[in-house]
Amino acid sequence: MKIAWKEMRKNKTKFLILGSIIFLVSFLTFIISGLANGLSQDNAALIKDLPEGQFYLNENAKQTYNLSKIDTGLQEEIVKEHPQATAFSVQMGFVNDVEDKQHSVAFLTSTESDVFEDVREGEILLDSSLKEDGIRVGDVLTNNQFSGEFTVKGFVDKKKYSHAPVAYINITNYQEMYRVMEMQTIFIPGKDAPAYNGLESFSNKTFLNAIPSYSAEQMSLNMIIWFLVVISGMLFAIFFYMMNVQKIGLYGILKAIGMKTIALFKMIWFQMIAITLVALSLSIGLSQFFNFVAPEGMPFHLSLDTVLMLSAVFLIVGFVGATISGFQIKKIEPLQAIQQGEM
Amino acid sequence: MATFLIEDVTKTFTNGEVEEQILKGVDLTLKEGEMTALIGPSGSGKSTILTIAAGLQRATDGEILFEGKDMTKMSQEEIRQVRASEFGFVFQSSHLVPFLTVEEQLLLMLDVAESKLTKKEQEKEVDKILKLVEMDHRKDAYPASLSGGERQRIAIARAIIHRPKILFADEPTASLDTKRSKDVMELLRQLTKTLKLTTLMVTHDEEMLPYVDRIITMRDGYIEE
Repeated sequence: MKIAWKEMRKNKTKFLILGSIIFLVSFLTFIISGLANGLSQDNAALIKDLPEGQFYLNENAKQTYNLSKIDTGLQEEIVKEHPQATAFSVQMGFVNDVEDKQHSVAFLTSTESDVFEDVREGEILLDSSLKEDGIRVGDVLTNNQFSGEFTVKGFVDKKKYSHAPVAYINITNYQEMYRVMEMQTIFIPGKDAPAYNGLESFSNKTFLNAIPSYSAEQMSLNMIIWFLVVISGMLFAIFFYMMNVQKIGLYGILKAIGMKTIALFKMIWFQMIAITLVALSLSIGLSQFFNFVAPEGMPFHLSLDTVLMLSAVFLIVGFVGATISGFQIKKIEPLQAIQQGEM
Repeated sequence: MATFLIEDVTKTFTNGEVEEQILKGVDLTLKEGEMTALIGPSGSGKSTILTIAAGLQRATDGEILFEGKDMTKMSQEEIRQVRASEFGFVFQSSHLVPFLTVEEQLLLMLDVAESKLTKKEQEKEVDKILKLVEMDHRKDAYPASLSGGERQRIAIARAIIHRPKILFADEPTASLDTKRSKDVMELLRQLTKTLKLTTLMVTHDEEMLPYVDRIITMRDGYIEE
């Protein structure tokens, strides 16, 4: 490994350039990943924070949450059979504050439940992000689809749905506003997944895809993330390929004097791992720092688990890239190198 | 005492449908402490026999006996091991590793040869060999800062640091001026005697022949002793 280290020390600029590119690519990946997680929380924290369980939609709803209606009779039967089950509905809407300013919210109502907040008629419980808009406990809010008024009962932390703050309201108020008696979804916590005629069941993970725009948004961001990871692997492959081309003569001589091919591979691997570790350490540090200083309104959430998982992927992809470039070393004939001129 | 025997070695190259026989049955015995020069016109096969003897390419037919073992029957890995521990190489260009100092070049060779010496012993050995080639004052220098003659001296030091039995030199003076060429030849001769090496050298330069013990002329794939 000494020879690999010596080469890096002697050719600092070359390795610094590669390290900088890997740092920038990995930093960008972490930032986009933080943004993807943040947007995912912003889009579906309400669902993501629920315990493991099964969601049921009407099987005619084409796996789209908005189109689902659960038959009232069936709903009662399920709730009777599973006392911990809850039926709930979410609809996008808005509330007007005391100054008649409109605020987008996701109205949520549910049958009596341990997983959702219970509110009485005329009361409303809001996501705490609305505090920033100046709404306070006790404020009176209105909605033009609702004949009465809502009094703000309190706030809950980080309950978002479809990028809007959640507003818990009573089932009676909800039915008046949306002129609908049926609920959209039934949720049964736990690992059991009983089947019901006319209903389609979803796990927590698959239910997220039933939220409009969720999968499209996440797929685009994840695609960018994986592209960046692949690009970093290709960078290693191209960089080491170029370096290997320059060093064919050297490798040939080293092979001629008896150096094992695996020792040359180890040299490349050492350099690749050293560069990646330094670049990743810097980008992990910087992205975690960004986690703290990101503006309040920016949906950014980067957990250490995600960072470590992506770092491992970077190392694996870098290793593959460097190894692919190293295959040409295997083909080098010492004789050809000797017959070439000075390196 | 004979240490290296080349018996009836042939080498045929195939280029498409055309076959060309470069070596047409070469016999050669190399002796310990003896410096042998292979001379002959271009295309006579002298470099080919050197590279076959050094295990850098395979013979088409014949035997190469090193310490009683036929190298033509060895696997690639066995040949690599022989090259690493028993052979030394000096090439036309010095082919030093550009990012290693003089001392590191020699330590690397000891590493490649899987030397059993301790780190301290290795360092002592490096000092000893550098004194022998009169380059101990450039121990920390990189190849780029050395002259052509100095580089070739370091290449020779690298070739003998692990105490090989056979030293192969392919046109070792081709890139040097006359004075430096003579210095290098004197050094090779001196090392062959002092370290009891078996040295096989290819050269074009007739001015270098007074330094060798034996001259073998090759022509059209045969030896014309």
